[in-house]
This record gives sequence, structure tokens and C-alpha cells, in this order.
Amino acid sequence: MSVTVVAIRVLLFIGLLLVWEVGARLANPLLYVPPTAVVPAVRELLALRSYPDLPAHLGLTVREIALAYALAVGAGLGIGFLLAMNKTFGRAWGPILAALYAVPAVVWYPSLMLFFGLDAASKIAFGFLLGFFPIALAVLAGIRQVNPQLVTVATAFGARPAAIFVKVLLPAMLFTLVGGLRTGLALSVVGVIVGEILGSRAGLGSLINHAYGLFRTADYAALVLLTLVLVVASDAGASLLERRARRWTA
Amino acid sequence: MSTRLSARTLSGVSSRLSERARVRLLQAGSVLAVLALWEGVARAGWVDPLFVPTPSAVARGFALVAGPAVDGLVDTLSKTAIAYVLSVLLGVGAALVIGSVPAVNAVLHPFVGALYGMPKILILPWIVLLLGFGTAPAVLYGTIHGFFPILILVIGAVRDVDRTLLTVARSLGARRAQIYLKVILPAIVPTVLASMRLGIVFCLLGVLVVEMFAGIRGMGHVMGSLANGFRAPELFAATGLVSAASIAIVLGLDALNERLSRWRG
Amino acid sequence: MTPLIAIERVAKRYLTSSGAVDALADVSLSVGDGEFCTIIGPSGCGKSTVLGMLGGLVQPDTGRVLIAGEAVTGPDPARVATVFQDPGLFPWRTALDNVAFGLELQGVPRERRRRIAGDLLGPLGLKDFAAKYPRELSGGMRQRVAIGRALAIDTRILLMDEPFGALDEQTRMLMGDWLLDIWRRTSKTVIFVTHSLHEALALSTRVVVMTARPGRVKTVLPLDLPYPRSMESVELVSLRAKLWHEIREESLRAMSEA
Repeated sequence: MSVTVVAIRVLLFIGLLLVWEVGARLANPLLYVPPTAVVPAVRELLALRSYPDLPAHLGLTVREIALAYALAVGAGLGIGFLLAMNKTFGRAWGPILAALYAVPAVVWYPSLMLFFGLDAASKIAFGFLLGFFPIALAVLAGIRQVNPQLVTVATAFGARPAAIFVKVLLPAMLFTLVGGLRTGLALSVVGVIVGEILGSRAGLGSLINHAYGLFRTADYAALVLLTLVLVVASDAGASLLERRARRWTA
Repeated sequence: MSTRLSARTLSGVSSRLSERARVRLLQAGSVLAVLALWEGVARAGWVDPLFVPTPSAVARGFALVAGPAVDGLVDTLSKTAIAYVLSVLLGVGAALVIGSVPAVNAVLHPFVGALYGMPKILILPWIVLLLGFGTAPAVLYGTIHGFFPILILVIGAVRDVDRTLLTVARSLGARRAQIYLKVILPAIVPTVLASMRLGIVFCLLGVLVVEMFAGIRGMGHVMGSLANGFRAPELFAATGLVSAASIAIVLGLDALNERLSRWRG
Repeated sequence: MTPLIAIERVAKRYLTSSGAVDALADVSLSVGDGEFCTIIGPSGCGKSTVLGMLGGLVQPDTGRVLIAGEAVTGPDPARVATVFQDPGLFPWRTALDNVAFGLELQGVPRERRRRIAGDLLGPLGLKDFAAKYPRELSGGMRQRVAIGRALAIDTRILLMDEPFGALDEQTRMLMGDWLLDIWRRTSKTVIFVTHSLHEALALSTRVVVMTARPGRVKTVLPLDLPYPRSMESVELVSLRAKLWHEIREESLRAMSEA
């Protein structure tokens, strides 16, 4: 079965590329960018001919993501545990957090831009904001889903609160927590890229905007592919971590 | 004995009451503290009031921005509504096919996952290039945003339909259409409702992003121009308005959800 | 005369991720009209597969399954109704609408099917629970709704796959008495799969003992005794010992293989 499935997938993928190629050439190659036009654009991009300062822009975007994610992890874990461990804080802030989560995060972006300006700070702030919620909520969900019987057993065997945290709560919630950390990273990446595309002077997003503004559609497609590589690479790292955590807990 | 019991009950009640009171107090306190800090910081001149207006200035901003903001919100919400209906219909429809036919699921699984995981913002410039400014790109982009989470959740629900229910229906002679109508569809209702709650936020997000990126109308466009014009009080007021609208819609869907699901308990 | 049910030399092999499993090997059995035939055997002996074949949900690899002389090719709700171990109630339907489900599939008009289902709730002991949803019912009540759903389409044959397996012992015994009563009043043909010696001895006109995997018919034990039966009677005590002897051997084999 699986050989057939893989073959059909490959055929489907090739078929889609072919349809795209032919359709784009027949309709409007500039607008629909056939795959064969993207290949040379990727080569130009990687040889630093179309955008010689690509490394600097790429580096900036990666740094923005790293900082945004670090802040999101710190604040997400801190506030998540505060709300999960302290009943009063949990009941008071939990609903506020849930309500804020029901707001499409992009509404905050104009204010962030106004406050932090067009440069890196507003992108970091937005990436932080997007990454923060899934992490904090994963801590809450993780603690809530721990089987209380485990805590009872540990207490009956004389475990102190610190031991209960390290030996029971943390391992039992690890899988959910790591899932939240992975989602958080993906959203921090998205946040930074959205921020850059909505308005910036540097970073991958600004190059995308530049290529699009000048109708350099093949370069635009090449930049999109490069960004996708960044997205996939970051998620692959996170999923490696997730798999390790799964082996631990299962 | 009875006095001890009632004393304990009483203390239980009082501690529960004080717990609820503490929660409310903390909620009110947190909000007030944020507002006070904000007002204080702004008045003390630690931050530029051009960027961070005082809460009282934001309150005045509401009056200033009310007209264009409400128009913008109506425009945004009507685009969102179209995108929402499309993404629910397409998402649930596609999920029914993919989820109930194992071969289709096996082939499409990696494609669906890749499209779901791709940051949609990357194709936004292309959509705008193709469709121009205005309603069409916003509806399309909003639909794409809402479609994938709904698709993924509902595929899972279709695949998780209790096998026994399917066997029962089959043994009672159900035809294919009856299995869809009387078993699969009702079984996935809770997930469809949950995905609709999630989907509305995504659709609204998509529409707002397009309006900010290349809008000529709508709340996203209004907020973008307020930000560009450094009109912070009005911007903060507009942000509050969209947030409130979004929370109200989600709470409305929650209430609807609760009503429709007596059998879930 | 052809028997109502004839199973002729059927075999079935399942392909699982860990290799092929022979569930049934060369099983033959015939059941006459109005019998209460119990199939008993160790876990994994293919009892449920036999029922699945009779219900048209499983096709044999070799051999054939005949009902009233015709080969079974798929579910036939006009002649066969099945009760599963998991009651499989639709959680979004009330007890009444669950009982009426099969009639609804057959296109019976709403008023009529609700009347038929409603009339069944009395003997099911669910008169006051018509409007309740499954989650509001006890385990025994749920299984009675599932039995009601099978009775509602009024078939000649009733297949029951460990219907009381998930219930506690007291409830099980009461449900057995109740089922016996239903069977004697409707004179349906029942094929009943169970793990319980007690159920087999208290209910059946015939007990079929199956071997450990791959399942074969090991012994057929006719029980020509009047109802209600006392487990303390001399015949039943000795039958019980005999039945246990037959099953014990197979259960030990099944355990050592699993």
C-alpha cells in the first residue's frame, strides 16, 4: 500500500507543477511565475546576485525570531506557572488570557508599530506576543491534565512540594508543554515575518515587499521559498525536541 | 456535633465567598493597576504621549474615531462573514471527503499538513498582485486563513467517529448517504462547532491583515492609517473596538454551542 | 428441510500489522428456527467473526453462510438484527430515537416508528426514559436500548455479541432473565456469544464450544431443560462441570499463546 501511496503523491505533485507551468506560460508568466522561472531566480538569490545584502537581512530576521522566542518562552513559562500554581491568580487572569486569545493578534500590530517604530523592536514585540499565548496556555493545560492520583500517590509516599513538581508534575505535563513550545516557535516565526511584511526597512520580509513592489515576481517567489526553508528548519528542530520528549514520557 | 458541622460548613462557605471575592478583587485590581500605571507613566512624561496616550486621551479618542471606526468595522465584518461562510462550507465539505475515504487521506495528508503549516502571509503579496485592492483579496485571504484549521480539526473528527456506530448503522442496512447524514454528520457536530469558534478568529485575522497590507477600506486600513498618522489615542480606541467586537462574536458562538449540545452533558 | 441458519466450512484469516492471523478454520454449524444457540470459547477464538458473517459484516475466505438457504452477501436488516457488546448508542439521539433508528433507515414514517419504539420501551423497562440521552442512562439501560433497537426492526434472527459483557454481575443476571422472557414471547432465533458459563447454561437450548485460535467447533452441548433453570439442579451442576472442562483446556491454550 505505502509504495502506491508515495507514488501517487509524487505523481500528484509533479502533475500540479506541470499544470502550473503550462497554465502560467499560457496565461501570464509574469503574474503566475512558472516553476521553471523560479529555478534561475533561486540560483541568482543564493549567489547573492539579485540581493547582494541577503545575508544581512536573513541574519536580522533570524535574530529577531530568536529574541522574540526567548522572550515568549520566558514570559509564557513564568505567567503560565504563576496562573497554574496559584488558584487565585489562575481564576482571575485565566479568563482574561482566554479573552485576549479570542482577539486576532494582528489588531495589536499597528499600536506596536507606533510604539516601537518601523525597525526590529516592533517585529520582536509582535513575534513575542504571538509566541507567548500557546506557551502560557500549554502550561495551564499541562498542569490541569496531570492525573491527580499521581500527586496523591507521591504525597502518600512523603514527597515534598518541590519533589512533586520535579518528579511528578513536570514529567507528566512535559509532552503538552513541549507541544506548546513548538507551536510558540512556529508562531513567533510567523509574527516576525508578518511584522516585516506589513512594514519594515530590513529583514526577509522587507526584501519580499521590495520584490513584490517592483513586480520582480520570480525573485519574490525565490524569497518566499527561502523563507519557507527557514520556517521548515525551525519547526524541524522543534519537532526533534518534541520526539525526544515523547520518548521520555511514553 | 451539629454545631461543629455547621461551623465547618459556614467556614467553608465563607472561604469560598472570600475566594470569589479575592478573584474579582484581583481582576479589578489588575485592570486598574495597568490603567493607573499607564496614565502615570504617560503623565510623568516617561514616554512620549505621542506614542503612548493617557487612558483619558484614549477615552476622548473614542469620540473622535467613532464614525470612521464603526464604518470600518462594518466593512471588515461583512468581508469576514463571507470568508467565514466559505471557509466553513469548504472546510467541512473537504474534511468529510478526506476524512471518510482512507485512500484520499493517505495521499493528501502531507499536502494538507504542508499548506496548513505554511505562513499564509507569504502569498499575500501575490494575492494582492492578482486581485488588486479591495474586497476580493480580503475575502480570499480570510477564507484561506479560516479554511485550514477547520479542515484539520474536522478531518480528525471524521476519522475518530466511533467505529461501533458505523458498524451498527451498517448492520441495520444504512446506505452510504444515510451513513453520512445520520452518523458522521451528527457525530462531528461538536468538533465543527469548536472549529467554527476557532475559524472566526482566523477569518477576521486574515481580513484585517489584508486591509493593513493593501486596504482601501475596513478596520485594518483605518488602524494602519491612524498608526501612520501617529494618532495614538484614536488608534488605541479603534484597537479596543475591534477587540471587543471579536470577543463578543466568540462569546456569542460559545453560547450557541452550549445551547446545541444538551446530549453532550 | 433446510435449517434457518447454515454455516458451511467457513474459514477467515485477518491481515494485521504484525502478520496474518487465522481467526477461523473450518467451522460448520446449523441452527434451527426458534433456537437459542450460545457460542462460547476463549478470547480471540473467532466467536465475533462468526456473528459478523451471519450479520453480513464479514465475508468468509472460504466456505459459505446461508440464511434460509440463501448465501449472505451483506447486512440484511429484513432478517437479521445485531446487538454488539458496546451498545453503540448514538449520543445525540434520545433513548426513543435510538430504538427507532433502524426503522428510520428503512423509511418508516415518523409517527409510526415512534409508536413502535414507544411500545417497546415498556417491556424494556425504559418507559420513563424515552426522552433521556444515552449519557443519562445506566449501563444496563443503555444495553436494553441497544436490544430495543434490534427488536424494533422485528427480524427472525437476533445476533448478540457479548451483549452483557460490560455489565456488573447482578445486572447481568437480571438482564439474562429479561432476555429469556423476550425470547420466549417472540420465539426469535437467537445466536448469543458470551464468556459466561452461567449465561450459557441459564439461557441456551444449545451451547457451542469453540477452540482457541484458529477457531473450530469443539463440542456442541444440547440443553433440553425447562425454563427457568436452577443452577443448583443436579443436571445443571454436572453440565456445568462438563462445560467448564471443555472450555478450561481451550482457555489455557489461548492464555499460553497470548
